[in-house]
Amino acid sequence: MASVSATSATFRVSLKPCFKNNQVTGGTSTTVKMARAGWAKNVFPTLRTSRFNVCCAAKPETVQKVCEIVKKQLALSDETELTPESKFAALGADSLDTVEIVMGLEEEFGISVEEESSQNITTVQEAADLIEKLVQKKPEA
Amino acid sequence: MLLLRLRVKFMMSIGCFQRNLCAASSPLVPVRPPSPMETHLWYILPDEVKSSKLLNRYFELLSPCEKEKVFRMHGDQLQQRTLLARTLVRTTIARYQTNSHVHPRSFKFKKNIYGKPEVEWQDLEDWHLPPLHFNLSHTSSLIACGVTVNSPIGIDVEEKQRKLRNNVLRFARRYFSPYEVELLAAISDPEYQRQEFIKLWTLKEAYVKALGRGFSAAPFKTFTIRFRAAMERAIHLSGHRDSEAFDIVVDSIDDPENLTNNWQFALLELASSHYAAICVEKDGTTGGKGTLPMKLTVRRTIPYLEDECVSGTAAVVAISGMT
Repeated sequence: MASVSATSATFRVSLKPCFKNNQVTGGTSTTVKMARAGWAKNVFPTLRTSRFNVCCAAKPETVQKVCEIVKKQLALSDETELTPESKFAALGADSLDTVEIVMGLEEEFGISVEEESSQNITTVQEAADLIEKLVQKKPEA
Repeated sequence: MLLLRLRVKFMMSIGCFQRNLCAASSPLVPVRPPSPMETHLWYILPDEVKSSKLLNRYFELLSPCEKEKVFRMHGDQLQQRTLLARTLVRTTIARYQTNSHVHPRSFKFKKNIYGKPEVEWQDLEDWHLPPLHFNLSHTSSLIACGVTVNSPIGIDVEEKQRKLRNNVLRFARRYFSPYEVELLAAISDPEYQRQEFIKLWTLKEAYVKALGRGFSAAPFKTFTIRFRAAMERAIHLSGHRDSEAFDIVVDSIDDPENLTNNWQFALLELASSHYAAICVEKDGTTGGKGTLPMKLTVRRTIPYLEDECVSGTAAVVAISGMT
């Protein structure tokens, strides 16, 4: 998870006034999400809160694209309602589907996902977050 | 429809599950547990389970947590699949306690430190057998459960007709080992190539699931599964060598010292519609380069309704690694 701490370092710098220190959540990925949304002082970073932040954080078009790719892979009808919290497994995805979805995302966004990470993507939101993280890293590579 | 019915049942069952427990009409047929050298494979065909009365009965076997999980699945078909998977593992394990009656509902499941599901054996009062290992796999048309005693097991089933959305070779280059890619690339017929891909996929899945340490512990690119010409063997378990031209072996790529020769594989066609791969840890006695074929017993079941041993029938066609 070295990439996570690298990202959080960047955010810490840009949000210095609002964001006290990493000790709020022990420097986990929750911290990253909090920083990204620009929330600060008064809100205790529960998991639920950070999820709400994450909803606003990843670009809507990213989430939308992920939903499209997932629907296509799982042969879901257009009317099927997907939310960022939708779990692939609950939609009927098995591990082969998940891997195919990741491949579809790699193609769509021009990124490369480590195999270990690809098996950890379980929801639309997690996929969108990972995409944004990798897309942002691209110019630096 | 199923969702609504089950929700109502769930609410009612909180108060009256005791009554339901006693209402068991036909018991589960007990089965002798697998010996240390044996593997059992049980499967349900969801299309054969249509009775809502039976489904309700299955629902009563689940823990509250499992019931919630059923409800979280999108749509009737997925809910039924989840229900049947939990039913299969609970009823299968319950059958093996042949001396005293252990209710399928009494099992508690947990995940090991890597996330692999297992039974909490110490909580069971009436269990007098060595701990059983199990592994589940399912598709929309088949749910399977493999069981062993004293040996980690991983299984995977895939529909034979399953089509990839991506190009097979592109997918293989991305996720499989170079040896496997070369093998697939050498196949000119696209349909045959696709079939071999699916077989490889199930074998790789079964291996990783048997290891039980999560997918990140053994990314697919880091090991190769291949068919190796079998050595001459002095001992033949069954006396004939039909499918025994090849063993299935796994090699670790970045860690050649890794003990990968202690895993045994079997690959078969199941119910004419699926490929099934099974991976179990060999016990130390078989040692050396030779591999005795897996002694596998396959049963089709509709718990509480019918059980059928299908080994030796058209429902089980060995491809490699088994008697």
